[in-house]
Amino acid sequence: MGYKASEQDLMAYLYGELEGKEKEMVEQYLLENADARLELEKLKQLRHALGQIKDKEVIAPPIFVGDSRPPFIWNAPYFKTIVSIAASLLIVMLVGRLSGLQIGYADNELRMSFGKPAQPRETVTVRPAESLTSATVQQMINTSLQQNNLAMQESWAETQKKLDESIVKNLASNSAKIDNLVKASSAASQQQIRDFVSTIQAENVQAVKSYFQLSSAEQKQYVESLLVDFAKYLQQQRNDDLQVVQTQLNSLQQNTNTFKQETEQILTSIISSVGNNNSQGTKY
Amino acid sequence: MHSDNLIARAKEGDQNAQGKVVQLWYKRIYNFSFKFFLNHDLAMEVSQKTFISMCKNLPALQDNARFKSWLYKIAVNYCREESRKKKSNRSLSFDLVWNREAEDSPQWESSGHRIDDPERQLQHRELADVLQEALMEINEEQREVVIMKEYEGLKFREIAEVLNISENTVKSRMYYGLDGLRKVLERKNINKETIGYGI
Repeated sequence: MGYKASEQDLMAYLYGELEGKEKEMVEQYLLENADARLELEKLKQLRHALGQIKDKEVIAPPIFVGDSRPPFIWNAPYFKTIVSIAASLLIVMLVGRLSGLQIGYADNELRMSFGKPAQPRETVTVRPAESLTSATVQQMINTSLQQNNLAMQESWAETQKKLDESIVKNLASNSAKIDNLVKASSAASQQQIRDFVSTIQAENVQAVKSYFQLSSAEQKQYVESLLVDFAKYLQQQRNDDLQVVQTQLNSLQQNTNTFKQETEQILTSIISSVGNNNSQGTKY
Repeated sequence: MHSDNLIARAKEGDQNAQGKVVQLWYKRIYNFSFKFFLNHDLAMEVSQKTFISMCKNLPALQDNARFKSWLYKIAVNYCREESRKKKSNRSLSFDLVWNREAEDSPQWESSGHRIDDPERQLQHRELADVLQEALMEINEEQREVVIMKEYEGLKFREIAEVLNISENTVKSRMYYGLDGLRKVLERKNINKETIGYGI
């Protein structure tokens, strides 16, 4: 008594992997325990249901396995890496050799250059100038100033001289031109002036005469046309007035006729009404 | 299923023997993988990898008598590897993830294919498919054990050897795996009447 089948025991029993005493103990437990029996029954039913899943048919495809021989040393990854690095270094060295690459380190300076190293240039020592005293410098300045002043004075004198010569020359030229003009104007004779004046007068007379002639003809033509227009206007006005009078007369005539017709109608009406009254009075 | 002589020849690199071993075991490994994934492509992938690995590593097999558990160990490892890849590549929509119904029921069940009436369900789906999908609902550790025990016929000792765990752990996983399957089928109203056998 007291034995309780564990989950593991139940599984082993369910799948028939219990033997001997253990199997008997589980069977005894199941006989005494209805719940365990029921559970085992359910598990069997579940197994039965799971049996509904059938295997799928499948055709094994060909399996290609690569060469299983151990790889040679040159197929090893580390060997390839080392060879790659060595090849890279070799290429770098070869390129450096061909291009004349120079690499050096000296005096805290890393130098990389191509071709032959440059030769150091000859140093040119610059000697310091001899010292000059202030008096010497002052003397040099004074000398320079004097020379400069002299050169400027010479330049000024030459310029002044050229300017004076130019003024004299221009004055002489201008006075000669003026004299020529005065002489030419005084040479004109009185006769020429009179001829000129008479010619102008004749031209003026001719111009005024032709102007008046032209003006009188245009005025005459204008007055005539004005009179014709005025006559036409008067005629038109007269016609309009006559037409108005005629219209008024016609209207008056029409009114008179209308009035006569109305009067006749009224009289007829009065007469007929009087006649009817008389006949009615006779009847009664 | 095979003779020790065949395994011995295959170990020595006899390609004909290796081909014969592949022919003998391919269906078993494929069906194990298919039940594990419910996916033909993944099952083929795992089977291919398993047998390639087998051919490469067969010389390292020390005890020919353990060939079966050794082969299943390779297959289980590839199944787990593919499962990890599948999980890392899986993407579900937010609605699907946050579906309250889906919290208590599997993804396939919450889809539009669900039919409440078991009889109608059986009209539309083969019982085997329903059971197969129920298998997919239990966790992977239990599924491995259930498939190896129920369909591959390995002994608990062999399964323990394959999974490198104790025999008692294997039996516990088997027990809880079956219990989980039973609950899944009950939830789907798959019972004695609907399948004709009863659970």
